[in-house]
Amino acid sequence: MTALALSLVVPWCAGLVIALLDGRRRVVGWAAVAALAINLGALVALAAAVLPDDPVVVTTGDWPVGVGITLRADALGVLFALLSSLALLAATVVEVLDGVRERTFPGLVVLLAAGLTGVFLTGDLFNFYVFFELAMTAGYVLATYGGGRRELGAALVFTTVNLLGTFIFLLSVSGVYHVTGTLDMSGIAARMDDVDANAAVLIAVGFFVAFSVKLGLFPFHFWLPTVYTGARPAVAAILSGGLANIGAYGLLRFGGELLPDELDLAAGALIVIGGASIVYGGVLAVSRRSASEMLAYSAIGQVGYVLVAIGVGGPVGFAAAILYTVVNALNKTLLFLTAQMRGAVVGAAFAIGALSVAGVPPAAGFVGKLELFRATANDPALIALFVLGSALSFVYAFQTYQYDFWRGERRGKRSTIPQQGVVAALALLVLAAGVWPEPLLALSHDAAELLAGGGR
Amino acid sequence: MNLVFALAAAVLFGTGAALLLDRDLVRVVFGVVLVSQAAVLTLIASGLARGSAPIYPLTVDSVSDPLSQAMALTAIVIGLAVTALLLALVLRVVQAYRSLELAELAGLEAERDARLERLHEREHAEEEAAAR
Repeated sequence: MTALALSLVVPWCAGLVIALLDGRRRVVGWAAVAALAINLGALVALAAAVLPDDPVVVTTGDWPVGVGITLRADALGVLFALLSSLALLAATVVEVLDGVRERTFPGLVVLLAAGLTGVFLTGDLFNFYVFFELAMTAGYVLATYGGGRRELGAALVFTTVNLLGTFIFLLSVSGVYHVTGTLDMSGIAARMDDVDANAAVLIAVGFFVAFSVKLGLFPFHFWLPTVYTGARPAVAAILSGGLANIGAYGLLRFGGELLPDELDLAAGALIVIGGASIVYGGVLAVSRRSASEMLAYSAIGQVGYVLVAIGVGGPVGFAAAILYTVVNALNKTLLFLTAQMRGAVVGAAFAIGALSVAGVPPAAGFVGKLELFRATANDPALIALFVLGSALSFVYAFQTYQYDFWRGERRGKRSTIPQQGVVAALALLVLAAGVWPEPLLALSHDAAELLAGGGR
Repeated sequence: MNLVFALAAAVLFGTGAALLLDRDLVRVVFGVVLVSQAAVLTLIASGLARGSAPIYPLTVDSVSDPLSQAMALTAIVIGLAVTALLLALVLRVVQAYRSLELAELAGLEAERDARLERLHEREHAEEEAAAR
Protein backbone atom coordinates (compact mmCIF):
# COMPACT_ATOMS: atom_id res chain seq x y z
CA MET A 1 0.00 0.00 0.00
CA THR A 2 2.69 2.49 1.03
CA ALA A 3 4.97 1.36 -1.79
CA LEU A 4 2.11 1.64 -4.28
CA ALA A 5 1.29 5.18 -3.16
CA LEU A 6 4.97 6.20 -3.12
CA SER A 7 5.65 4.86 -6.60
CA LEU A 8 2.90 7.11 -7.97
CA VAL A 9 3.05 10.18 -5.76
CA VAL A 10 6.83 10.72 -5.73
CA PRO A 11 7.35 11.01 -9.51
CA TRP A 12 4.14 13.00 -9.85
CA CYS A 13 5.02 15.67 -7.27
CA ALA A 14 8.72 15.67 -8.12
CA GLY A 15 7.85 15.97 -11.81
CA LEU A 16 5.67 19.03 -11.20
CA VAL A 17 8.41 20.77 -9.19
CA ILE A 18 11.27 19.80 -11.51
CA ALA A 19 9.29 20.89 -14.57
CA LEU A 20 9.31 24.44 -13.19
CA LEU A 21 13.09 24.50 -12.65
CA ASP A 22 15.80 24.96 -15.25
CA GLY A 23 16.67 21.39 -16.22
CA ARG A 24 19.98 22.36 -17.77
CA ARG A 25 21.43 22.82 -14.30
CA ARG A 26 23.20 19.71 -13.03
CA VAL A 27 21.39 19.71 -9.67
CA VAL A 28 17.99 19.58 -11.32
CA GLY A 29 19.07 16.73 -13.57
CA TRP A 30 20.29 14.73 -10.60
CA ALA A 31 17.09 15.54 -8.69
CA ALA A 32 15.18 13.95 -11.58
CA VAL A 33 17.48 10.93 -11.40
CA ALA A 34 16.81 10.71 -7.65
CA ALA A 35 13.03 10.86 -8.20
CA LEU A 36 13.29 8.09 -10.79
CA ALA A 37 15.45 6.04 -8.43
CA ILE A 38 12.84 6.41 -5.65
CA ASN A 39 10.16 5.36 -8.14
CA LEU A 40 12.22 2.29 -9.05
CA GLY A 41 12.91 1.51 -5.39
CA ALA A 42 9.22 1.76 -4.47
CA LEU A 43 8.36 -0.53 -7.38
CA VAL A 44 10.94 -3.08 -6.22
CA ALA A 45 9.40 -2.99 -2.72
CA LEU A 46 5.95 -3.33 -4.27
CA ALA A 47 7.13 -6.28 -6.37
CA ALA A 48 8.53 -7.93 -3.25
CA ALA A 49 5.09 -7.58 -1.64
CA VAL A 50 3.04 -8.60 -4.68
CA LEU A 51 4.93 -11.57 -6.03
CA PRO A 52 4.70 -14.06 -3.16
CA ASP A 53 1.08 -13.25 -2.27
CA ASP A 54 -1.94 -11.85 -3.99
CA PRO A 55 -2.16 -8.59 -5.92
CA VAL A 56 -2.35 -5.39 -3.89
CA VAL A 57 -5.65 -3.64 -4.55
CA VAL A 58 -6.37 -0.17 -3.18
CA THR A 59 -9.61 1.76 -3.59
CA THR A 60 -8.71 5.44 -3.59
CA GLY A 61 -10.26 8.14 -1.45
CA ASP A 62 -11.86 5.77 1.11
CA TRP A 63 -14.76 5.10 -1.21
CA PRO A 64 -16.54 1.76 -0.83
CA VAL A 65 -15.27 -1.01 -3.10
CA GLY A 66 -17.04 -0.89 -6.45
CA VAL A 67 -17.59 2.87 -6.31
CA GLY A 68 -14.12 4.34 -5.92
CA ILE A 69 -11.34 4.17 -8.48
CA THR A 70 -9.10 1.20 -7.87
CA LEU A 71 -5.34 0.88 -8.11
CA ARG A 72 -4.22 -2.69 -8.62
CA ALA A 73 -0.69 -4.04 -8.55
CA ASP A 74 -0.35 -7.58 -9.83
CA ALA A 75 2.63 -9.49 -11.22
CA LEU A 76 2.05 -8.35 -14.83
CA GLY A 77 1.66 -4.66 -13.97
CA VAL A 78 4.57 -4.57 -11.53
CA LEU A 79 6.89 -6.31 -13.99
CA PHE A 80 6.13 -3.79 -16.74
CA ALA A 81 6.35 -0.84 -14.36
CA LEU A 82 9.76 -2.02 -13.10
CA LEU A 83 11.02 -2.50 -16.61
CA SER A 84 9.92 0.94 -17.83
CA SER A 85 11.23 2.67 -14.75
CA LEU A 86 14.62 1.02 -15.22
CA ALA A 87 14.81 2.08 -18.88
CA LEU A 88 13.90 5.68 -17.99
CA LEU A 89 16.46 5.79 -15.19
CA ALA A 90 19.30 4.49 -17.38
CA ALA A 91 18.50 6.88 -20.24
CA THR A 92 18.20 9.87 -17.91
CA VAL A 93 21.52 9.15 -16.19
CA VAL A 94 23.29 8.98 -19.56
CA GLU A 95 21.69 12.23 -20.72
CA VAL A 96 22.42 14.09 -17.47
CA LEU A 97 26.05 12.95 -17.62
CA ASP A 98 26.20 14.19 -21.19
CA GLY A 99 24.68 17.55 -20.21
CA VAL A 100 20.96 18.25 -20.61
CA ARG A 101 20.25 20.60 -23.52
CA GLU A 102 16.72 21.81 -22.76
CA ARG A 103 15.21 22.99 -19.54
CA THR A 104 12.14 20.76 -19.74
CA PHE A 105 13.86 17.41 -20.21
CA PRO A 106 14.28 16.17 -16.58
CA GLY A 107 10.78 17.21 -15.52
CA LEU A 108 9.19 15.55 -18.52
CA VAL A 109 10.99 12.24 -17.92
CA VAL A 110 9.82 12.18 -14.31
CA LEU A 111 6.23 12.96 -15.36
CA LEU A 112 6.52 10.23 -17.98
CA ALA A 113 7.55 7.84 -15.19
CA ALA A 114 4.46 8.88 -13.21
CA GLY A 115 2.22 8.25 -16.21
CA LEU A 116 3.79 4.88 -17.01
CA THR A 117 3.62 3.68 -13.40
CA GLY A 118 -0.02 4.72 -13.31
CA VAL A 119 -0.87 2.94 -16.55
CA PHE A 120 0.60 -0.32 -15.31
CA LEU A 121 -0.84 -0.13 -11.80
CA THR A 122 -4.38 1.09 -12.39
CA GLY A 123 -7.39 -1.18 -12.18
CA ASP A 124 -9.76 1.31 -13.76
CA LEU A 125 -10.30 1.65 -17.48
CA PHE A 126 -10.80 5.40 -17.64
CA ASN A 127 -7.88 6.00 -15.31
CA PHE A 128 -5.85 3.91 -17.70
CA TYR A 129 -6.74 6.43 -20.40
CA VAL A 130 -5.81 9.40 -18.22
CA PHE A 131 -2.41 7.96 -17.22
CA PHE A 132 -1.89 6.84 -20.79
CA GLU A 133 -2.45 10.39 -22.02
CA LEU A 134 -0.18 11.77 -19.28
CA ALA A 135 2.64 9.47 -20.38
CA MET A 136 2.03 10.10 -24.07
CA THR A 137 1.92 13.89 -23.68
CA ALA A 138 5.27 13.82 -21.92
CA GLY A 139 6.47 11.58 -24.76
CA TYR A 140 5.25 14.03 -27.43
CA VAL A 141 7.23 16.86 -25.92
CA LEU A 142 10.28 14.65 -25.33
CA ALA A 143 10.29 13.74 -29.02
CA THR A 144 11.06 17.41 -29.81
CA TYR A 145 14.09 17.28 -27.49
CA GLY A 146 17.18 18.60 -29.22
CA GLY A 147 15.11 21.17 -31.06
CA GLY A 148 16.52 20.55 -34.53
CA ARG A 149 14.36 20.47 -37.66
CA ARG A 150 14.38 16.70 -37.87
CA GLU A 151 13.29 16.29 -34.25
CA LEU A 152 10.42 18.74 -34.76
CA GLY A 153 9.20 17.04 -37.92
CA ALA A 154 9.43 13.63 -36.24
CA ALA A 155 7.63 14.88 -33.13
CA LEU A 156 4.78 16.29 -35.22
CA VAL A 157 4.26 12.94 -36.96
CA PHE A 158 4.54 11.08 -33.65
CA THR A 159 2.02 13.35 -31.92
CA THR A 160 -0.59 13.34 -34.67
CA VAL A 161 -0.53 9.59 -35.26
CA ASN A 162 -0.55 8.69 -31.58
CA LEU A 163 -3.31 11.18 -30.77
CA LEU A 164 -5.46 9.46 -33.37
CA GLY A 165 -4.58 6.17 -31.65
CA THR A 166 -5.55 7.45 -28.20
CA PHE A 167 -8.89 8.79 -29.42
CA ILE A 168 -9.68 5.44 -30.99
CA PHE A 169 -8.80 3.95 -27.62
CA LEU A 170 -11.21 6.38 -25.95
CA LEU A 171 -13.97 5.34 -28.36
CA SER A 172 -13.44 1.74 -27.29
CA VAL A 173 -13.47 2.76 -23.62
CA SER A 174 -16.87 4.39 -24.03
CA GLY A 175 -18.04 1.27 -25.86
CA VAL A 176 -16.93 -0.93 -22.97
CA TYR A 177 -18.68 1.31 -20.45
CA HIS A 178 -21.88 1.23 -22.44
CA VAL A 179 -22.06 -2.55 -22.82
CA THR A 180 -20.79 -3.57 -19.37
CA GLY A 181 -21.81 -0.60 -17.19
CA THR A 182 -18.53 -0.61 -15.29
CA LEU A 183 -15.01 0.73 -15.67
CA ASP A 184 -13.36 -1.59 -13.18
CA MET A 185 -11.14 -4.01 -15.10
CA SER A 186 -11.96 -7.10 -13.06
CA GLY A 187 -15.67 -6.24 -13.31
CA ILE A 188 -15.38 -5.84 -17.08
CA ALA A 189 -13.64 -9.21 -17.40
CA ALA A 190 -16.51 -10.85 -15.51
CA ARG A 191 -19.27 -9.16 -17.50
CA MET A 192 -17.77 -9.39 -20.96
CA ASP A 193 -19.14 -12.91 -21.51
CA ASP A 194 -22.74 -11.66 -21.66
CA VAL A 195 -21.99 -8.97 -24.19
CA ASP A 196 -23.23 -9.13 -27.76
CA ALA A 197 -20.44 -10.59 -29.91
CA ASN A 198 -20.61 -7.86 -32.58
CA ALA A 199 -20.14 -5.08 -30.06
CA ALA A 200 -17.30 -6.94 -28.34
CA VAL A 201 -15.44 -7.46 -31.61
CA LEU A 202 -15.75 -3.77 -32.53
CA ILE A 203 -14.41 -2.77 -29.12
CA ALA A 204 -11.56 -5.26 -29.42
CA VAL A 205 -10.59 -3.92 -32.85
CA GLY A 206 -10.45 -0.39 -31.44
CA PHE A 207 -8.13 -1.45 -28.62
CA PHE A 208 -6.00 -3.47 -31.02
CA VAL A 209 -5.51 -0.53 -33.39
CA ALA A 210 -4.71 1.84 -30.52
CA PHE A 211 -2.03 -0.41 -29.02
CA SER A 212 -0.57 -1.48 -32.35
CA VAL A 213 0.03 2.17 -33.23
CA LYS A 214 1.85 2.52 -29.90
CA LEU A 215 3.94 -0.59 -30.52
CA GLY A 216 4.69 0.25 -34.14
CA LEU A 217 3.47 -3.03 -35.60
CA PHE A 218 3.74 -3.52 -39.35
CA PRO A 219 0.73 -1.77 -40.88
CA PHE A 220 0.81 0.90 -38.16
CA HIS A 221 4.57 1.42 -38.15
CA PHE A 222 4.86 4.37 -40.56
CA TRP A 223 5.61 6.95 -37.86
CA LEU A 224 8.25 4.92 -36.07
CA PRO A 225 11.45 5.11 -38.18
CA THR A 226 11.19 8.90 -38.55
CA VAL A 227 10.80 9.38 -34.82
CA TYR A 228 13.39 6.92 -33.56
CA THR A 229 16.07 8.13 -35.97
CA GLY A 230 15.10 11.79 -35.58
CA ALA A 231 15.17 11.87 -31.79
CA ARG A 232 18.30 11.93 -29.65
CA PRO A 233 19.56 8.48 -28.51
CA ALA A 234 18.44 8.97 -24.90
CA VAL A 235 14.94 9.95 -26.04
CA ALA A 236 14.79 7.04 -28.49
CA ALA A 237 15.79 4.74 -25.61
CA ILE A 238 13.04 6.23 -23.43
CA LEU A 239 10.43 5.92 -26.17
CA SER A 240 11.29 2.37 -27.22
CA GLY A 241 12.37 0.97 -23.83
CA GLY A 242 9.71 2.70 -21.72
CA LEU A 243 6.78 4.14 -23.63
CA ALA A 244 6.40 1.32 -26.17
CA ASN A 245 5.83 -1.13 -23.30
CA ILE A 246 2.32 0.33 -23.01
CA GLY A 247 1.47 -1.29 -26.34
CA ALA A 248 2.56 -4.79 -25.32
CA TYR A 249 0.99 -4.39 -21.88
CA GLY A 250 -2.28 -3.17 -23.38
CA LEU A 251 -2.48 -6.06 -25.83
CA LEU A 252 -1.82 -8.55 -23.02
CA ARG A 253 -4.13 -6.93 -20.48
CA PHE A 254 -7.01 -6.07 -22.81
CA GLY A 255 -6.64 -9.10 -25.07
CA GLY A 256 -5.72 -11.71 -22.49
CA GLU A 257 -7.77 -10.58 -19.51
CA LEU A 258 -10.69 -8.46 -20.73
CA LEU A 259 -11.45 -9.85 -24.18
CA PRO A 260 -10.10 -13.44 -24.31
CA ASP A 261 -12.77 -14.72 -26.72
CA GLU A 262 -12.11 -11.94 -29.22
CA LEU A 263 -8.36 -12.61 -28.91
CA ASP A 264 -9.01 -16.26 -29.76
CA LEU A 265 -11.05 -15.18 -32.76
CA ALA A 266 -8.29 -12.93 -34.03
CA ALA A 267 -5.39 -15.33 -33.30
CA GLY A 268 -4.75 -16.09 -36.97
CA ALA A 269 -4.75 -12.41 -37.94
CA LEU A 270 -2.39 -11.53 -35.09
CA ILE A 271 0.09 -14.19 -36.17
CA VAL A 272 -0.01 -12.97 -39.80
CA ILE A 273 0.50 -9.32 -38.77
CA GLY A 274 3.28 -10.31 -36.37
CA GLY A 275 4.99 -12.36 -39.08
CA ALA A 276 4.74 -9.46 -41.53
CA SER A 277 6.32 -7.18 -38.89
CA ILE A 278 9.20 -9.60 -38.32
CA VAL A 279 10.05 -9.93 -42.01
CA TYR A 280 9.48 -6.26 -42.90
CA GLY A 281 11.51 -4.95 -39.94
CA GLY A 282 14.30 -7.44 -40.49
CA VAL A 283 14.70 -6.87 -44.22
CA LEU A 284 14.66 -3.08 -43.92
CA ALA A 285 17.04 -3.11 -40.95
CA VAL A 286 19.58 -5.10 -43.01
CA SER A 287 19.54 -2.38 -45.67
CA ARG A 288 20.35 0.43 -43.20
CA ARG A 289 23.79 1.76 -42.58
CA SER A 290 23.46 3.97 -39.49
CA ALA A 291 22.94 2.41 -36.07
CA SER A 292 19.82 4.38 -35.12
CA GLU A 293 18.07 3.64 -38.42
CA MET A 294 18.91 -0.04 -38.09
CA LEU A 295 17.54 -0.03 -34.53
CA ALA A 296 14.33 1.72 -35.56
CA TYR A 297 13.50 -0.97 -38.13
CA SER A 298 14.69 -3.66 -35.75
CA ALA A 299 12.15 -2.35 -33.22
CA ILE A 300 9.36 -2.99 -35.74
CA GLY A 301 10.62 -6.53 -36.31
CA GLN A 302 11.10 -7.37 -32.64
CA VAL A 303 7.56 -6.46 -31.56
CA GLY A 304 6.35 -8.85 -34.25
CA TYR A 305 7.59 -11.74 -32.09
CA VAL A 306 5.54 -10.44 -29.17
CA LEU A 307 2.41 -10.28 -31.31
CA VAL A 308 2.93 -13.81 -32.67
CA ALA A 309 3.33 -15.12 -29.11
CA ILE A 310 0.12 -13.34 -28.03
CA GLY A 311 -1.64 -14.83 -31.05
CA VAL A 312 -0.48 -18.33 -30.07
CA GLY A 313 -1.95 -17.60 -26.65
CA GLY A 314 -2.40 -19.92 -23.69
CA PRO A 315 -0.16 -19.79 -20.62
CA VAL A 316 2.99 -20.64 -22.61
CA GLY A 317 2.29 -18.10 -25.35
CA PHE A 318 1.51 -15.26 -22.92
CA ALA A 319 4.57 -16.08 -20.82
CA ALA A 320 6.72 -16.00 -23.97
CA ALA A 321 5.17 -12.66 -24.99
CA ILE A 322 5.84 -11.12 -21.57
CA LEU A 323 9.40 -12.44 -21.41
CA TYR A 324 10.17 -11.28 -24.93
CA THR A 325 8.80 -7.81 -24.22
CA VAL A 326 11.07 -7.54 -21.18
CA VAL A 327 14.13 -8.75 -23.10
CA ASN A 328 13.34 -6.54 -26.08
CA ALA A 329 12.89 -3.42 -23.94
CA LEU A 330 16.24 -4.06 -22.25
CA ASN A 331 17.95 -4.63 -25.63
CA LYS A 332 16.50 -1.51 -27.15
CA THR A 333 17.38 0.68 -24.16
CA LEU A 334 20.95 -0.60 -24.26
CA LEU A 335 21.40 -0.36 -28.03
CA PHE A 336 19.78 3.05 -28.50
CA LEU A 337 21.93 4.46 -25.70
CA THR A 338 25.10 3.15 -27.36
CA ALA A 339 23.99 4.46 -30.77
CA GLN A 340 26.03 7.66 -30.57
CA MET A 341 28.66 6.76 -27.99
CA ARG A 342 32.26 5.78 -28.56
CA GLY A 343 34.71 3.73 -26.53
CA ALA A 344 35.93 0.20 -25.87
CA VAL A 345 33.25 -0.58 -23.28
CA VAL A 346 30.59 0.80 -25.61
CA GLY A 347 31.71 -1.63 -28.32
CA ALA A 348 31.50 -4.57 -25.92
CA ALA A 349 28.08 -3.43 -24.67
CA PHE A 350 26.83 -3.07 -28.23
CA ALA A 351 28.09 -6.58 -29.03
CA ILE A 352 26.17 -8.01 -26.07
CA GLY A 353 23.04 -6.14 -27.16
CA ALA A 354 23.50 -7.39 -30.71
CA LEU A 355 23.86 -10.98 -29.47
CA SER A 356 20.70 -10.51 -27.43
CA VAL A 357 18.73 -9.17 -30.41
CA ALA A 358 19.88 -12.09 -32.52
CA GLY A 359 19.07 -14.54 -29.72
CA VAL A 360 22.55 -15.99 -29.22
CA PRO A 361 23.52 -17.31 -25.75
CA PRO A 362 24.63 -16.22 -23.20
CA ALA A 363 22.62 -12.98 -23.72
CA ALA A 364 19.02 -12.63 -22.49
CA GLY A 365 17.63 -12.70 -26.02
CA PHE A 366 18.42 -16.41 -26.17
CA VAL A 367 16.01 -17.13 -23.31
CA GLY A 368 13.35 -15.02 -25.00
CA LYS A 369 13.74 -16.87 -28.29
CA LEU A 370 13.79 -20.23 -26.47
CA GLU A 371 10.45 -19.45 -24.84
CA LEU A 372 9.05 -18.42 -28.23
CA PHE A 373 10.16 -21.71 -29.76
CA ARG A 374 8.61 -23.55 -26.82
CA ALA A 375 5.30 -21.73 -27.34
CA THR A 376 5.18 -22.60 -31.03
CA ALA A 377 6.83 -26.03 -30.85
CA ASN A 378 4.23 -27.84 -32.94
CA ASP A 379 4.01 -25.35 -35.79
CA PRO A 380 6.82 -25.72 -38.36
CA ALA A 381 5.77 -22.58 -40.28
CA LEU A 382 6.16 -20.37 -37.21
CA ILE A 383 9.50 -21.95 -36.31
CA ALA A 384 10.74 -21.29 -39.85
CA LEU A 385 9.57 -17.67 -39.48
CA PHE A 386 11.46 -17.26 -36.19
CA VAL A 387 14.61 -18.78 -37.66
CA LEU A 388 14.41 -16.41 -40.63
CA GLY A 389 13.79 -13.45 -38.32
CA SER A 390 16.70 -14.39 -36.06
CA ALA A 391 19.02 -14.82 -39.04
CA LEU A 392 18.04 -11.36 -40.29
CA SER A 393 18.61 -9.85 -36.84
CA PHE A 394 22.02 -11.49 -36.64
CA VAL A 395 22.99 -9.98 -39.98
CA TYR A 396 21.75 -6.45 -39.30
CA ALA A 397 23.06 -6.23 -35.75
CA PHE A 398 26.56 -7.43 -36.56
CA GLN A 399 26.73 -5.56 -39.85
CA THR A 400 26.32 -2.36 -37.87
CA TYR A 401 28.82 -3.59 -35.28
CA GLN A 402 31.32 -4.23 -38.05
CA TYR A 403 30.90 -0.80 -39.62
CA ASP A 404 30.80 1.18 -36.39
CA PHE A 405 33.31 -0.56 -34.16
CA TRP A 406 35.63 -2.83 -36.14
CA ARG A 407 36.26 -0.31 -38.84
CA GLY A 408 35.84 2.56 -36.43
CA GLU A 409 33.59 4.62 -38.67
CA ARG A 410 31.79 6.13 -35.73
CA ARG A 411 32.69 9.79 -35.32
CA GLY A 412 32.40 12.09 -32.35
CA LYS A 413 34.14 12.45 -29.04
CA ARG A 414 34.88 9.49 -26.80
CA SER A 415 32.22 8.96 -24.13
CA THR A 416 33.17 9.58 -20.52
CA ILE A 417 33.83 6.72 -18.09
CA PRO A 418 30.56 7.15 -16.09
CA GLN A 419 28.51 7.12 -19.34
CA GLN A 420 30.25 3.97 -20.46
CA GLY A 421 29.61 2.59 -16.96
CA VAL A 422 25.83 2.98 -17.39
CA VAL A 423 25.73 1.06 -20.68
CA ALA A 424 28.13 -1.51 -19.19
CA ALA A 425 25.72 -2.01 -16.27
CA LEU A 426 22.81 -2.46 -18.69
CA ALA A 427 24.86 -4.91 -20.76
CA LEU A 428 25.72 -6.88 -17.63
CA LEU A 429 22.04 -6.97 -16.75
CA VAL A 430 21.24 -8.40 -20.20
CA LEU A 431 24.00 -10.98 -19.71
CA ALA A 432 22.86 -11.83 -16.18
CA ALA A 433 19.28 -12.35 -17.36
CA GLY A 434 20.62 -14.74 -19.98
CA VAL A 435 22.97 -16.66 -17.69
CA TRP A 436 20.55 -16.92 -14.77
CA PRO A 437 17.08 -16.69 -16.33
CA GLU A 438 15.08 -18.41 -13.58
CA PRO A 439 13.78 -15.27 -11.79
CA LEU A 440 12.64 -13.68 -15.05
CA LEU A 441 11.08 -16.93 -16.28
CA ALA A 442 9.23 -17.45 -13.01
CA LEU A 443 8.02 -13.84 -13.06
CA SER A 444 6.69 -14.02 -16.59
CA HIS A 445 4.97 -17.33 -15.92
CA ASP A 446 3.35 -15.86 -12.79
CA ALA A 447 2.21 -12.86 -14.80
CA ALA A 448 0.82 -15.08 -17.57
CA GLU A 449 -1.12 -17.14 -15.04
CA LEU A 450 -3.03 -13.99 -14.08
CA LEU A 451 -4.50 -13.50 -17.52
CA ALA A 452 -7.84 -15.19 -18.04
CA GLY A 453 -6.67 -16.92 -21.21
CA GLY A 454 -3.80 -18.36 -19.17
CA GLY A 455 -6.12 -21.05 -17.86
CA ARG A 456 -6.96 -22.41 -21.28
CA MET B 1 -31.65 9.61 -29.94
CA ASN B 2 -28.97 6.94 -30.23
CA LEU B 3 -29.12 7.24 -34.00
CA VAL B 4 -28.59 11.00 -33.79
CA PHE B 5 -25.55 10.50 -31.54
CA ALA B 6 -24.15 7.79 -33.79
CA LEU B 7 -24.61 9.89 -36.94
CA ALA B 8 -23.10 12.99 -35.33
CA ALA B 9 -20.08 11.06 -34.04
CA ALA B 10 -19.63 9.36 -37.40
CA VAL B 11 -19.75 12.66 -39.29
CA LEU B 12 -17.29 14.25 -36.83
CA PHE B 13 -14.90 11.30 -37.06
CA GLY B 14 -15.14 11.13 -40.84
CA THR B 15 -14.54 14.84 -41.31
CA GLY B 16 -11.67 14.69 -38.84
CA ALA B 17 -10.09 11.74 -40.61
CA ALA B 18 -10.39 13.49 -43.98
CA LEU B 19 -8.76 16.63 -42.57
CA LEU B 20 -5.98 14.55 -41.02
CA LEU B 21 -5.00 13.42 -44.49
CA ASP B 22 -4.72 17.00 -45.70
CA ARG B 23 -1.37 18.57 -46.54
CA ASP B 24 -1.93 21.77 -44.62
CA LEU B 25 -0.67 21.38 -41.05
CA VAL B 26 -3.36 23.58 -39.48
CA ARG B 27 -6.01 21.42 -41.12
CA VAL B 28 -4.32 18.36 -39.64
CA VAL B 29 -4.70 19.94 -36.18
CA PHE B 30 -8.38 20.62 -36.89
CA GLY B 31 -8.70 16.97 -37.91
CA VAL B 32 -7.33 15.84 -34.54
CA VAL B 33 -9.72 18.22 -32.75
CA LEU B 34 -12.73 16.85 -34.64
CA VAL B 35 -11.72 13.25 -33.96
CA SER B 36 -11.37 14.09 -30.26
CA GLN B 37 -14.86 15.63 -30.32
CA ALA B 38 -16.21 12.44 -31.88
CA ALA B 39 -14.72 10.51 -28.94
CA VAL B 40 -16.23 12.95 -26.41
CA LEU B 41 -19.65 12.70 -28.04
CA THR B 42 -19.45 8.91 -27.94
CA LEU B 43 -18.54 9.09 -24.25
CA ILE B 44 -21.66 11.16 -23.53
CA ALA B 45 -23.77 8.84 -25.64
CA SER B 46 -22.47 5.83 -23.76
CA GLY B 47 -24.27 6.94 -20.59
CA LEU B 48 -26.53 4.27 -19.18
CA ALA B 49 -29.44 6.53 -18.25
CA ARG B 50 -30.90 9.75 -19.63
CA GLY B 51 -32.95 12.27 -17.69
CA SER B 52 -32.51 15.58 -15.97
CA ALA B 53 -29.24 16.92 -14.62
CA PRO B 54 -27.76 14.71 -11.89
CA ILE B 55 -27.42 17.47 -9.26
CA TYR B 56 -27.90 16.66 -5.59
CA PRO B 57 -30.49 16.77 -3.95
CA LEU B 58 -32.40 14.79 -6.54
CA THR B 59 -35.89 16.12 -7.19
CA VAL B 60 -36.95 13.82 -10.02
CA ASP B 61 -36.70 10.07 -10.44
CA SER B 62 -34.72 9.78 -13.65
CA VAL B 63 -31.36 11.50 -13.90
CA SER B 64 -28.62 11.23 -16.51
CA ASP B 65 -25.68 8.95 -15.87
CA PRO B 66 -23.15 11.25 -14.13
CA LEU B 67 -20.18 8.98 -14.75
CA SER B 68 -20.18 9.35 -18.52
CA GLN B 69 -20.49 13.13 -18.13
CA ALA B 70 -17.52 13.17 -15.78
CA MET B 71 -15.52 11.16 -18.30
CA ALA B 72 -16.55 13.48 -21.13
CA LEU B 73 -15.42 16.51 -19.08
CA THR B 74 -12.04 14.91 -18.42
CA ALA B 75 -11.70 14.03 -22.09
CA ILE B 76 -12.53 17.62 -23.11
CA VAL B 77 -9.86 18.99 -20.77
CA ILE B 78 -7.24 16.54 -22.04
CA GLY B 79 -8.29 17.27 -25.62
CA LEU B 80 -7.85 21.00 -25.04
CA ALA B 81 -4.37 20.49 -23.61
CA VAL B 82 -3.16 18.28 -26.43
CA THR B 83 -4.62 20.65 -29.03
CA ALA B 84 -2.65 23.49 -27.50
CA LEU B 85 0.46 21.31 -27.54
CA LEU B 86 -0.12 20.33 -31.15
CA LEU B 87 -0.59 23.96 -32.21
CA ALA B 88 2.62 24.93 -30.43
CA LEU B 89 4.40 22.11 -32.22
CA VAL B 90 3.05 23.24 -35.60
CA LEU B 91 4.23 26.77 -34.84
CA ARG B 92 7.76 25.53 -34.11
CA VAL B 93 7.76 23.37 -37.23
CA VAL B 94 6.63 26.33 -39.34
CA GLN B 95 9.40 28.48 -37.83
CA ALA B 96 11.99 25.78 -38.48
CA TYR B 97 10.96 24.78 -42.01
CA ARG B 98 9.33 28.05 -43.13
CA SER B 99 6.50 26.04 -44.61
CA LEU B 100 3.01 24.89 -43.66
CA GLU B 101 2.89 22.17 -46.29
CA LEU B 102 3.54 18.57 -45.30
CA ALA B 103 4.70 17.78 -48.84
CA GLU B 104 7.50 20.33 -48.61
CA LEU B 105 8.58 18.93 -45.25
CA ALA B 106 8.68 15.45 -46.73
CA GLY B 107 10.58 16.79 -49.74
CA LEU B 108 13.27 18.31 -47.51
CA GLU B 109 13.59 15.02 -45.62
CA ALA B 110 13.84 13.07 -48.86
CA GLU B 111 16.58 15.40 -50.09
CA ARG B 112 18.56 14.79 -46.93
CA ASP B 113 18.14 11.02 -47.25
CA ALA B 114 19.27 11.10 -50.87
CA ARG B 115 22.34 13.10 -49.88
CA LEU B 116 23.24 10.52 -47.22
CA GLU B 117 22.68 7.71 -49.68
CA ARG B 118 25.04 9.31 -52.23
CA LEU B 119 27.66 9.80 -49.54
CA HIS B 120 27.47 6.13 -48.56
CA GLU B 121 27.67 5.06 -52.19
CA ARG B 122 30.77 7.17 -52.76
CA GLU B 123 32.39 5.76 -49.62
CA HIS B 124 31.57 2.27 -50.76
CA ALA B 125 33.04 2.86 -54.22
CA GLU B 126 36.21 4.25 -52.67
CA GLU B 127 36.52 1.21 -50.42
CA GLU B 128 36.07 -1.11 -53.37
CA ALA B 129 38.75 0.77 -55.29
CA ALA B 130 41.10 0.67 -52.30
CA ALA B 131 40.51 -3.07 -51.86
CA ARG B 132 41.40 -3.71 -55.51
